[in-house]
Formats: sequence, structure tokens, C-alpha cells
Amino acid sequence: MSSFNIKRGKDIQLKGEARREYIDVLAPQRVAIQPPDFRGLKARVLVKEGEKVQRGSVVIEDKDIDGLNLLSPISGTVKAINRGAKRALLSIVIENDKSNDSRDFKKYSAADIKKLKRKDIVASLLEGGLWPTIRQRPFGKIASPQDKPKSIFVRAINTDPLAADTDFILNDQEKDFQAGLNILTNLTDGKVHLCIKDTANSAALTSAEGVEVHLFSGPHPAGNVGTHIHHVDPINKGDVVWYVEAQDVVRIAQLFSTGQYPNRCVVALTGEGAKDNVYAFTLQGASIKDLLSGTDFAGKRCLTGSVLSGRDVGADGFLGFYDSQITIVPEGGNREFLGWLVPGFKKYTLSHTYASAFLPEKPVSLDTDENGGHRAIVLNHLYDSYVALDVVTYFLLKAILAEDIDEAERLGILECDPEDFALCTFVCPSKVNVGSIIRQGLDIIEKEG
Amino acid sequence: MSFLAKKSKEIEEKFFAKGKPLEKMYPLFDALDTFLLTPGKTTKAAPHVRDAVDIKRVMIFVVVALIPCIIMGIYNVGYQMLLAKGAEVSLMGAMGQGALKVLPIIIVTYAVGGMWEGLFAIVRKHEINEGFLVTGILFALTLPPTIPLWMVAVGISFGVVIGKEIFGGTGYNVLNPALTARAFVFFAYPAQMSGDAVWAAVDGFSRATPLAVVAGADRGSSAVEALTSAGYTFSDIALGFIPGSIGESSAVACLLGLIFLLVTRVASWRVIAGCVIGLFAMSFIFSLFQGSEALAFFSLPAHWHLVMGGFAFGAVFMATDPVSSAATNTGRWIYGILIGMLVVLIRVVNPAYPEGVMLAILFMNVFAPTIDHFVVQGNVKRRLARVQKA
Repeated sequence: MSSFNIKRGKDIQLKGEARREYIDVLAPQRVAIQPPDFRGLKARVLVKEGEKVQRGSVVIEDKDIDGLNLLSPISGTVKAINRGAKRALLSIVIENDKSNDSRDFKKYSAADIKKLKRKDIVASLLEGGLWPTIRQRPFGKIASPQDKPKSIFVRAINTDPLAADTDFILNDQEKDFQAGLNILTNLTDGKVHLCIKDTANSAALTSAEGVEVHLFSGPHPAGNVGTHIHHVDPINKGDVVWYVEAQDVVRIAQLFSTGQYPNRCVVALTGEGAKDNVYAFTLQGASIKDLLSGTDFAGKRCLTGSVLSGRDVGADGFLGFYDSQITIVPEGGNREFLGWLVPGFKKYTLSHTYASAFLPEKPVSLDTDENGGHRAIVLNHLYDSYVALDVVTYFLLKAILAEDIDEAERLGILECDPEDFALCTFVCPSKVNVGSIIRQGLDIIEKEG
Repeated sequence: MSFLAKKSKEIEEKFFAKGKPLEKMYPLFDALDTFLLTPGKTTKAAPHVRDAVDIKRVMIFVVVALIPCIIMGIYNVGYQMLLAKGAEVSLMGAMGQGALKVLPIIIVTYAVGGMWEGLFAIVRKHEINEGFLVTGILFALTLPPTIPLWMVAVGISFGVVIGKEIFGGTGYNVLNPALTARAFVFFAYPAQMSGDAVWAAVDGFSRATPLAVVAGADRGSSAVEALTSAGYTFSDIALGFIPGSIGESSAVACLLGLIFLLVTRVASWRVIAGCVIGLFAMSFIFSLFQGSEALAFFSLPAHWHLVMGGFAFGAVFMATDPVSSAATNTGRWIYGILIGMLVVLIRVVNPAYPEGVMLAILFMNVFAPTIDHFVVQGNVKRRLARVQKA
């Protein structure tokens, strides 16, 4: 067991933390599969509107990776196939018929699960629709089944603002969690690294066996998988590591032990815009309106994930495949008179240019206002204080913008993901989206192979 | 939506929107519009929430930090005039006299500099950057009060166009634009920019600045004694009741600005600390060589260096410009220390021009990318070492 104390970063304390109680939303009216959740997926839709699907039916297959399927989490009818600009597939909405008519997969006994070979695990995960739970760095895309990762990271800590507490949602799941870890260890010759919070106390995390346990403490991004990889087993050119969310480890185990597509998950309903801030037992891809019935969504932004790394899906949107958090925040856009002059007792800033910076910290209300105009980068020294990786952010950005990919690789871009730089964008007074520049660089590298 | 926001939207749609008659002037409208009201734009992608600070606020905070220097500068210009005339010195009298000299310089700087800034914004179709508010006032404060206004206009034009815009505007410049402008007028019009007669705005009056006094003292004599016999005390120099550039003379006013910049964390403390360390280190080294054959400057103690000339002003407001300084934290230490050392080096061993701050900072501006290069290579090496270990 090793410990890492992350010093660079910041926990933004927002209003709207979920209290530690559960509500049941186990029969949502609608669920959806959303291809934008999956980076690098080239989706081919295999169903038509109005078609009946079972829980576990193939809805989408990938054009590149043979056998990579996305399955329907419920039985019901395909209600809509939504497309956006350039006909990009946004979501496939399935109306729940609540019959739980389920497709059967091969079932394994607890003893058999321990003896599984890599080949069988890969085949079962692909067929059972859970292969996409395994993602890779670099690039943050779905792992390729042929790759031999040098290690697998399980992320059981999340430090995003208002994030679901992994320790809390894994309560009473230690059996499945351990079984899932066993499966992952059989999937690689390398190590499986379990990254947890230093204060974690659920049995699932503290008594995990057969894996390397790493304790992380400190502010966000201490819980980002990029931070874990960088400190535990860094990626160099040519390396691939895989990573899996803790909840998905449980689901992987359930696929093998039940022989059915595991569709249950826990989600934290957060943000001051939500009617109630609580945890929910629900189904994967549940609609926001089902999860937050009674909430008035007017003038609010609905995110799957957190305010830092989540995706705006709108009030008609759905829970993302990898997410364990919905955040509802007020939209901004109010024009304030002489805003640059006000003392700002109620402004939230990590700089010290508003009076609030000198008051004791307490949970704040933030809307989606950019709070300023776009400018060239001026305060170039700010970024490095908010990245938990040993990179010189400003110079990395300059290399990417100059499309000097060799230099960007030397400066460590392959270790980076936009979410690792979310706080840089947050603090940037020039309102530069640092993460999207990182993405731009990764895209060039991916394209050029 | 408030009344103002509604009005602004109306005006924008009528005149400045795409396809409307004043479309090209949009940056000017945008500058005024966002001066009155925050832009009110929302985020388009993650992260969905943002810090309340923006560049407008940061830049205006630097201007606020300069207020003590501006007030002290105005007062001192008037004070020196009244002294030179032998008139009675009163607070209001000095302020009034000073304002008549200083305000035109500031107005010309802003008018001409702002004109260039606006012109480039229109041609390049980008926002007007608030950085020119800082550049303009910094330039004005480094000038002697006697400078002809047309020279102010030429100087700021050079600073903005050659110092900044040809590199792509704020954020891309290599040199500090205010110092570039200052260096330009210094080398182009030496008669109006140096000597003993330019510091008090009274015809025919001349008094050597403290730096000139020490530079002109006999070999082997004590610098402090030379200053004392010329009528300068440490407290006069530190407070700034001495002839000099408008805003630079008072180290105490700079200190007030420094405190504000550090409390609000707008300026890099590493650069400033580096400058002071470098200055102390270098003057200590020189003090080891003082003697009967050495120039008087060798004997000047570090704390005098600290308050004399433009050091305090340069270290606090010029060296800390994040764009033209080193951009890595380690780099900032080296950059600051070298500026401090260069200032003393130029002052002590260059008898022709005793003020080294402007040239020291410009010189280090040029070297900042090189310093950063080595710091960044250090990061690359750490990365490579990791591969070899694995």
C-alpha cells in the first residue's frame, strides 16, 4: 500500500451536495444509450424506431472494434434515435415496458470466475456489453481488446465537485467488488492498481485483495485517473494503461455471476438546481426527468457528471454511461453593471481579487457564466498550481497550438486528458479553455497514429 | 435584463451586428459595452462554471496598485517645481502644479496608445485588450515631467506598435511594451530624456538626481557622503521628494503598490523577491572591491540601491509583467535575481548612464525565453529518466 498526497489543485465547494440517503428510481420511464459518452466509438445503429428490445439486446455496434457492442439496459421499445449536427448520433431512447424481459448470457459460479482466462473474459465482456467500461490512456477512449496494457487502474475515489462518494456507494458490495477485481487481474499480466481515498472505510475498498492499493489525499484532481496513473505507473510513449470506474467493477462481476446484463447503478443527484439532493438507486442511462421528478428545469443546466468535467445533456437528457452524478446548476448570463469594480463579497474566485477570497470558505452557488471576455493568455503562471501532473502547462499549450507534436509529446501530452486541466480553465482570467487545447493536441496525435 | 443591457443589445443590433453599417467597429463597441456591463456569456463546454476573475479586473488592479505612485508623482512634480522657483510649498499648490504637468502626459499616452490599440483590434477583429491601460500609465510614469507631449505620442506609438502589436498583441510580446517605449524615447531624444535639467519642470533649473550625484563623485570617495553633501537624505529618497521620473521617485509609493499586488496575488512574488535578492547580492559583491581607486558607486550600500532611481518601480511593476517575464516558477526566480544583479552592475560600472533598471529588465525580457527553455528541458529530462528507470 502506498500513499500519495496531492498538493496542487483545489476542491471547489458547491452548494447541493447529495445527502447520504437513497431513493429508488428503479423503474425509469425512459433510458438512453448516448454515443457521445464513448470517445472514439464509430457507432452503427442496429435498431429502428418502434422496434422491441430486450434487456441486453445489441443496440449499437462499433465499426472499428470487432464485437464491441452497446446493449440496451432495459426491455422496451426504441422510442427515438436522436441525431445532432452532421447527423452525429446523440442518443437512442428506449421506453421502458417494465417487463424485464432479459437476454441470457453465460453464467459462472464463484469458483469458476476465479479461474477465467483472459480470452474468455474478453469474449464475455464484449458479448455482455461491458467491454466499454474499460477505457485506456492515452486518449481516454474505449480500450482495444488486442492491447496488452501495462497495468489496470480501478478508480474508487472521485474528487470532482459534489461527486458521488465511491466509498459510500460501494457499501455492502464487497463480494461483487472483489470478484470484479479478480476478473480484472486475470485480464492483464501487469498489476491492477486500486486507487482509493485515504479516508475510505467501506469493506469493499479496505479489504480488497490481489491488487495494489494506493491511498490518495488532497484536493481535486486527486481523484482523477490521470493523477493516479501519473503518480503510480506513468505512461510513456508506446505504453497503454487501462482504467475502470469502481461501480463498473461491480457490474463486471454481476455480468459473470448472474448471466444478465447488469443495469443497476447508483447516482448522486447534486447541484442547487435539483429539487432534492440525494443518492438514487436507478438504471444505467436513466432519464434526468425520471431521476429528478418535480424539479423545475427552466433556466438551469443539466449535466451528467460534474460541473468541471460533465456534459450538458439538457433537461431531456440521460445519465451518462460512466457517470455516477447528475448536476443541476443555474444558467448564467446576467449582465452586471461595472462588474470589474465591485468588491465582490459573493463572488467566487481562487484569485484574491474579490473580497470573498478573504472570507472563510463555505459552499457557494455558481452559475454557468463565463465571467469575462476571451483574451490571449496573460497570467501564464496560474495553471501549474492546479494540475496534479508534473507538466509545464503553458509550454505544453504553446507546443500544441504550434502543432509541434514532438515537443508536446516530450512535454507529456500522452499522460494528459482534458479533465485533468479543468481547474486551469476554471481559474484562467483570459477564459481560455485549456482542456480543449489538450484535446486538440491528442486528436492530432491520434489521427497521425 | 436591466435597462442598460436592453439598450446595449438594441444598439448592437442596430449598428454593430454582422451586416450593419458599423460592423467593423465592433471591437470599440465591445470595449465600451463590456466596460459598463459584464459580458454575460455562458460557458459552451466543460468546465461549466468559471472563476469570477477576468483580465479586465486583473489589469485594472494593476492600475489601482499604481495610484500611490500617480498621486505621489503628481505631488512631487509640483513640489520640485515650487522648490526650483523658490516659492512656498503647500500641498494643494504642489498638487495643482504637478497635475498641470502630469495629466496632459497621461491623457496623451492613453489617447494615442488607445487609438493604436483600437485600430489593431478593428483590423485584426479581436477584442481590445485592457493591457494597454497598464502599459499607458506605466509609460507615462517613467517619463521626465519636462518631456514634450509630441514625444510622448511618438514614444507610446513605438511601444504599442513595435513593442507589442507586431508580435500579435498582448500576450505574445517579447518585451515589456511600456519599457520598449521608454527605451525608444531615451535613445531617440537623449537631450530631453537625460541630464540634470529635465527632472524639474522649471526652465533653467537643474539638479542632479541621486544616481547622477553618485556617478559623478570622485574615485575613492564615499557614495553616501556624496549624497549627503548634495542634500539628499535616505528618507527623502525613499519617500520620493527628489528629482526624477514622474512616478518612479518614491520607493514608498511603490511599496504600497507592491503590498496591494501581493495581497491580491496579481503579481508574481517570486520575480520581486528575486530582484531584491539579486540587488543585495550584487551590491555586496561590489562593496568588497570598494577602495581609494574604485568608483564611488562601489561603496553604495544595498538599501540605498533599493530606493534610488527606478529600481522599486521597475521591480514591482515592470519586471513582473507576466507576458515578458519568465513563465516558469523556477525561471522567475532566476529572471528576478538576474535583473537585480544587472541593475547594480550597470549602475556601478557604467559611468555613462547610471540608471540600469530599464535596460536590465529589457535585457532579461530578451533572455526570459532562454531561461524558460532550460527549465522546461529539466522537465523533459525528468520524463526521460522515468522511461529509463522503467
